[in-house]
Amino acid sequence: MLLNRQGSGARWRNRPDGPDKVMGKLAYLTDMTAPDMLIGRVLRSPHPHARITAIRTEKAEELDGVHAVITHKDVPGLNRYGIAQPDQPVLCEDRVRYVGDAVAAVAADTLEIAEQALRLIEVDYELLPIVEDAEYALTDDAPQLHTQGNLLHRKDFKRGDVAVGFDSCAHVVEETYYTPRQMHTYMETEGGLFIFGEDGRLTVYAPTQHGFMDRMQLARILAIPQSEIRIVSSPIGGSFGGKDELNVQPYGALLARVTNRPVKFHNSRWESVRAGLKRHPMKITMKTGVDGNGRLIAHQVRIIADTGPYATLGAEVLNFAVEHVIGPYQYQHLDVDGFSVYTNNGMSGEFRGFGGNQAIFALEGQFDRLAEKLGMDPWELRLLNMRKPEDLGPFDQPIASTEGAKQVSDAMTSSTLWQERGKSNTAEDEQAEPWTRTGIGAAFTMHGAGLGFGIPDPGGGRLTLARDGKIEAVFSYEEFGQGLIASLEQMLIEQFGFAAEDIRIIIGDSDVVPDGGSTTASRATSMMWKSLQNLRPLFEEAVLGKAAEHIQLPAKQLRFGEGGIYRIDGGSDALTDKCLITYPDLAALCGEPVSCTTQFNFPVSATDKVGAHFLYTYSAVAVKVEVNQLTGRVRVLHQYHAVAAGPVINPQGFLGQIEGGSSIALGFALTEDAVMSGGQYVTKNLDTYLVPTIAEHRGTIDVQPIEELPESDNYGPRGIGEVGSVTLAPAIAAAIYDAVGIRVTKLPIDPELLQAESFDTLLDKAVTRE
Amino acid sequence: MKDSMKPVSPLDTSSIPCTINGSEINLNVPPAKRLLSVLRDDLAMTGTKRSCDIGRCGACMVMVDGVPVNSCLTMAYQCTGKSITTIEGISASGMDPIQRAFLQEGGFQCGYCTPGMIISVKALLDHNPDPSALEIEEALSGNICRCTGYGGIKRAVQKAIEWRKEAYESITD
Repeated sequence: MLLNRQGSGARWRNRPDGPDKVMGKLAYLTDMTAPDMLIGRVLRSPHPHARITAIRTEKAEELDGVHAVITHKDVPGLNRYGIAQPDQPVLCEDRVRYVGDAVAAVAADTLEIAEQALRLIEVDYELLPIVEDAEYALTDDAPQLHTQGNLLHRKDFKRGDVAVGFDSCAHVVEETYYTPRQMHTYMETEGGLFIFGEDGRLTVYAPTQHGFMDRMQLARILAIPQSEIRIVSSPIGGSFGGKDELNVQPYGALLARVTNRPVKFHNSRWESVRAGLKRHPMKITMKTGVDGNGRLIAHQVRIIADTGPYATLGAEVLNFAVEHVIGPYQYQHLDVDGFSVYTNNGMSGEFRGFGGNQAIFALEGQFDRLAEKLGMDPWELRLLNMRKPEDLGPFDQPIASTEGAKQVSDAMTSSTLWQERGKSNTAEDEQAEPWTRTGIGAAFTMHGAGLGFGIPDPGGGRLTLARDGKIEAVFSYEEFGQGLIASLEQMLIEQFGFAAEDIRIIIGDSDVVPDGGSTTASRATSMMWKSLQNLRPLFEEAVLGKAAEHIQLPAKQLRFGEGGIYRIDGGSDALTDKCLITYPDLAALCGEPVSCTTQFNFPVSATDKVGAHFLYTYSAVAVKVEVNQLTGRVRVLHQYHAVAAGPVINPQGFLGQIEGGSSIALGFALTEDAVMSGGQYVTKNLDTYLVPTIAEHRGTIDVQPIEELPESDNYGPRGIGEVGSVTLAPAIAAAIYDAVGIRVTKLPIDPELLQAESFDTLLDKAVTRE
Repeated sequence: MKDSMKPVSPLDTSSIPCTINGSEINLNVPPAKRLLSVLRDDLAMTGTKRSCDIGRCGACMVMVDGVPVNSCLTMAYQCTGKSITTIEGISASGMDPIQRAFLQEGGFQCGYCTPGMIISVKALLDHNPDPSALEIEEALSGNICRCTGYGGIKRAVQKAIEWRKEAYESITD
C-alpha cells in the first residue's frame, strides 16, 4: 500500500516539535543571544594555494569595539581538526590550501566592526601553483599539498582476474561518468553561541551531528579536559551531513576564551559556501562485460574523488563508493580501484548518500547500456544478475539476509508507472507540446547503513522515571529535521503504551545524554529502536517492580499504560481497566529517579573489510520525465519509490525522508553544481546555485514501503535517511534515454545535450503548432 | 548646505514610524538597515529567518501591507508608515489554519524555511482563496525548502484552502 496520511490512520501523528516550528517560536541555536555577547567573524584566505609570510593584526586590534584578534599563535592545543584524521588547520600557520582556509578570527561589539577588523588584518601571501584537477594531482608534476603527497586514501577490491574475464565477454561497455560538487544547502547556515560560565566551563550552542565528537575535538584544540565542555546541539535547521564536521565552533570557543565574553557566530551564505563541505565530485570510469546471455563476467572500475584540501571523511566516503559501485550484482571478476585525492578546490566531505549517489549513478548506467547491446530489457538484465538473499555482500562479506532486493523489484515492476512504459498516448502525452518527448526509466539501489566494519559505531540510550513522574527518554542523537524526536515518541507510545503527555524526550546536550554515537549513516532510528528493545525488559523490571511494592500486586501482572500502571488482565471494561498508580504518584513514592541504560554497537559484518556493511536498505525507483527538445530542459513528471527498510516507525517521517531525499537527488541530476574555476567558487549563493523549488516538483511521488523482514531478523527498522537521495538520478538518466535516445554521462545534465539537432524543424513546429 | 544634502553616515539612525504586528512603533535605526536585521537583532523577533541574504530563498519573508517581501532586501526606511506582519504576528492569536495544515500534513522538517513559507501561503490565500496549482507554484517558488521536497507543503496548502473555504461557507451559510 502506498504511504500517505489517509492510509496511515492514527499512526500519522503531529510532530512534537511541530507546533513551535509552524508558529515560528522554535529558537534555533543561531537565534540565541546572550547579554554582553560579541560577534565573531573569520578571516579566510582569498587564495586557493599560497604561503603565508606574515600576518599583522595590530591595526585590527586597535579598532574601537574590537575585543580580540586571534591567529594560529592563540591556539593552545592541537591546531588541527577532522573527524577521521585531524589535518585541517584551525588557523593556518604558514600555508593556505583553499579559499575557505581560516587565517585569523575576530570578536567585536558588532558585525560591522568585526568585518571592518577583518579588512584591517594584513596577511602577506606568496602565491603557489594550484591543483584543481584530481587526476593531475596524482601526477609527479603536481604540487604536493601535504607531506604525504596528494593521495588521501586508496581503496581497492579485487576478485578473480578481469583481464581473463573481458576476453570471454560477448559484450563490453566502457563509460566514464562525472558527478557534481553538490552543496548541502541547509537553510540555516552554520553558527552558534559560545559561553564560558562562571565555573570556567565552556558551553557550546552550535549545530552538529555528533555532540560528543565536537566535544572531543574542541577539548583537543583548547587543551582542556572534555569534562569542561558542554555541547548543546539541537535543534538544527538542516544538515544532510554538512554539519557533521566542525565549522565555526573552534573560533567561537577560542574567542570566548580569550575575551571571557559570550561570542556569537552566524555565517553568511557566502561564508557557508566557501568554507563548507560539498559532495565529492567524482570521475568514475567503468568497463563492464557480459556473456551472450547477459550474465555479468567482469567489472572494472576506477574512481577519482576530488576531496579538496583536507581529509574530514573523504577516505570513508571513498570506501562507501567502492562498495556501492559493486552493489547488489554478482560478478565473476572484479577490479575496483578508488582514489580520494587532495586538491585546492573546496572541501568535500560527508553528504546524504555518502558516495553512494555517485557510485549508483554510474553502476546503473552500465546496466542500461549493456541491456541495449544485448537487446534485452534493462530491468531483466538487472534481475538476471541480482544477488540472492543468501549471497555475500559487495565486499564478499556476510550481510543480514533479506528478500529486499526482490521485494522492491517486484513492487516497482508492478507499479502503474512502470506498466505504462512502452505504451504511448496516455492523456498526459496527448496534451504534450510537439517538441517534448516523455520517457520512463528505473534504477536500483542497495544502500549500506551504519559506519561499516572497522569504525567504532556505538549505540545506546537511557529511560528514566524522573522525579516529577515523566518518562524521560535520553539519547545523544540530534534533531536536524529528519523527525527523530517524533519517531522516538511514536515508538514509546506504540511499544510501551505511554501517552504522549507522559514522555519527556531529552537530546542534544552532552552533559545529560549518554554517548550513543553519531546521527549519521541512516543509523539513528535503528539505534533508538534497538535501545528500546533492550531497555523494555529492564525498565519493566525496575519500574513495574517499584509499582508492585506499592500496590500489592505481582509485577508480572502489571503493565505500562497511558498516565500510569495498569493490570495486564484489566480487560477492556473501562471500570476494571483503570490506572492503578499514576507515574507522578509512583515517582513520588520512589523518591529517587528510576533509570535504565543500554550500550551496544551497530550490527557489523563478520569480515575484515574496512567499511563493509551488514545492514542494507533496498530501493527501486521508476520515473517518468518530459524532455523539452527546444530548451533541453528535463521535467520529472512522476516518481515511484519502493523501499524495503523493515517496519515503518513513523509514516510521516518515512514519507518525508523519501520525498525530501529524492528532491536532493533531483537537484543532483538536473541543476546543482557548485562550480569552481581556478580554485575559486563561481557559484557563491542561491541565485546561481540552483536547488529545486516547488516549481521543479510538479509531479507526483508515490512511496511504497516494504516492511516485511525474515522472521529470524531482529535488527528492526533499516535506515531510510539516505536511500531516497541515491536512486533517482540514474532513473532519470534512463528515462531521458527512453524519451530521446541520448545517454547522459555527466551530472547535472547539460540542457544543450538534449536540445534537438534539427532545431529549425522543431521551431517550425512550435510556430505552426503542427 | 541644506540638511538633506549633508552626507549621512550609514550608521546614523533616524526615526521610522511603522506598525509591526499591529503595534505602532518608531524604529530608531539606520535607514538603510535591512528589515531582517531590525527584526532579528534589534527587536529580538527571531521567527523571521536569515539564510541567503539576497532575496532568493524566502526564509526571511514578512508581509508589508499584506504583500510578501524578502525582509533581507527591504531597508528600514521603506517601512515608513507601513504595516509589517511577521510570523509572530500570524501566531499571536493562536495557530492559524495554514499553520495547523502544515503541522498535520507534515509540511516541514527542520522548520527553518517554515515561517517564510507560511507567510507566502498566507499572502497568497488572502488575495486568492482558491489558487490553481500553477498559481501556488508561482507564489511559493521564492521559498526554498531543502528538507521536504515540497510534497508535504503542497498537501498542507491544499488542506488550508479546504479549511478556509469551509470556514467561509460556515460564516456565509
